[in-house]
Amino acid sequence: MSFISIHSLTKSYTKGKTSVTPLENLSLDVPRGEFLALMGPSGSGKTTLLNLIAGIDSPTMGELVVDGRDIAKLSRAELTHWRASHVGYIFQLYHLVPILSAFENVELPLLLGKLSRSQRREKVSAALELVDLVDRAHHRPSELSGGQEQRVAIARAIVHDPNLLVADEPTGDLDRESADAILNLLKTLANDHGKTIVMVTHDPKAAEAAHRTLHLEKGKLIEQGALESATAKSV
Amino acid sequence: MLPFTYALRNLFRDPTRLAQTVGGSALVVMLLIAAVALNQGMNSVLSASGSARNVVILGKGSEESIERSEVHLEAESIAATGIRGIDEQLGVMAVSGEIFYQAPITTASGIENQALLRGVLEKALLVHSSVRLLEGHFPGPGEVMVGRLAHRKLDVDAAEFAVGEKVFFGKAELTIAGVFAAPGTVLESEIWFDRNDLATLTQRDTLSLVTLRLGSAEFDDVHVFTLQRNDLELAAIREDKYYEKLSIFYQPIKVMTWVTAALVSAGALFGGLNTLYAAFASRVREMATLQSIGYSRFALLVSLVQESLLATLTGTLLAFVVAYLLLDGQTVPFSIGTFTLTLTPTVIGTGLVTGVLLGSLGTLPPAIRCLSPSIPQALRSS
Repeated sequence: MSFISIHSLTKSYTKGKTSVTPLENLSLDVPRGEFLALMGPSGSGKTTLLNLIAGIDSPTMGELVVDGRDIAKLSRAELTHWRASHVGYIFQLYHLVPILSAFENVELPLLLGKLSRSQRREKVSAALELVDLVDRAHHRPSELSGGQEQRVAIARAIVHDPNLLVADEPTGDLDRESADAILNLLKTLANDHGKTIVMVTHDPKAAEAAHRTLHLEKGKLIEQGALESATAKSV
Repeated sequence: MLPFTYALRNLFRDPTRLAQTVGGSALVVMLLIAAVALNQGMNSVLSASGSARNVVILGKGSEESIERSEVHLEAESIAATGIRGIDEQLGVMAVSGEIFYQAPITTASGIENQALLRGVLEKALLVHSSVRLLEGHFPGPGEVMVGRLAHRKLDVDAAEFAVGEKVFFGKAELTIAGVFAAPGTVLESEIWFDRNDLATLTQRDTLSLVTLRLGSAEFDDVHVFTLQRNDLELAAIREDKYYEKLSIFYQPIKVMTWVTAALVSAGALFGGLNTLYAAFASRVREMATLQSIGYSRFALLVSLVQESLLATLTGTLLAFVVAYLLLDGQTVPFSIGTFTLTLTPTVIGTGLVTGVLLGSLGTLPPAIRCLSPSIPQALRSS
């Protein structure tokens, strides 16, 4: 059974007097533990798809099942609650809270649960250790490099142990070296920790780190078959 | 919920904006404190000045103003003998015929200002029971006794109204023989003359009023007396009712105080709201990030309100400190006396409620606006 199962998913909204449909009748299955890259030109609907999978947006039509739950049918409050325990979101520009230290930023998702202070400290330390930033725990985002900030953001995304990680251009604002470190980290999370990762990227090199790459254009998946057959031939 | 420290630390994110919010709320609270203290001070002095046991007899048609009133000199003794049940002490009836006059008084240093003058005999103390001699003695001919706040009414230094100092009324030189207190009443702003002196100096052969203190008698007895002695053309009014009427007379001034406070507050309020709109608008993306982590809009709203409450309550505290240093105990002269501004529990309560409302209700529009965009839309904002 797929970890993410999408059937006939459509998202449309009105912009002024115009109706916009960034995703149309899209179907997709992502197995548990897969690292999936979504590529496509700007406006192809990849971030919209990512937001729908992450539960921060709701589809207009269709079925969107994540880990056995149809999140398309959840109310806003239920989605908020669901996100708190099931999803870790990694942003291109990290989106760390500037007034909090790295430790406190990572601790944010845990404050929604019922863990004791010492339990939280233990989990935050473990997450920071995984991203190799224990020595920067008490630094504020302004005192960290871009790569370090993104690692803190990844630690924040994984600290509450969600099964699903979504990443929107996680290396888009980093130099090659830092980007490679982040991609290696994401690969480790998928391969060693069993996280299912959906990553939007423009960078073919970043996509190479993923198990599978899908291309979107004008709200529809393309080349999936072609790519798979190409992969099969090469094997 | 987000930890309280998040709200606390956000306060110091932009010190300029913090100063604007704290300053704006301090100004609004300060103005409201001042307006409430002013109204309360005036109400309290007017309500304390009249006693329900005193009845004032005035000339018919002058019930609104004792200054215009003219009462025949004999009315005092006729009332004393004609009304049964008037209070008396040691055989002296508590009936005081008085002359009330507003005229300029000149101090020894040459400062001339409008003063409230009352010509009395010693038995006035039987009807004005709040009056206590603090220093000196009751004035005889060529002497006056001053209320302890009379110097504020004349806007002169208290030393000018010390016992032994001279004041001038027209060409007459008068010595200050005593200083009296009448806590919380308008009497404290008056200058009391020997009644015969004031009659001579003002060339009056009538009294302004007769005040009498009821013993077993009731107001109706005095009222019936004024009707029976139609020839004297008198009208009776309970002293507390008289000051109640005066309070209505000063209503426009109170309204003006509120309108002024409201207008300046509105300016400060809009300035404060604008600051909050700008402060929250710069955090739309951060709010969206926290929502994507799993924080509900309500939790974020609570945090934003906490943050504003901290700022506005700091402003409120600042307003209290300034009010304590600059307003509390200050005396404010008005046409018929002087009242004291006091930080009473009502005044403090009003300030506190204002601070809380500013921080809670005032924060809602900018906070809701900050949280209203959808998460994807807010994440794209700069």
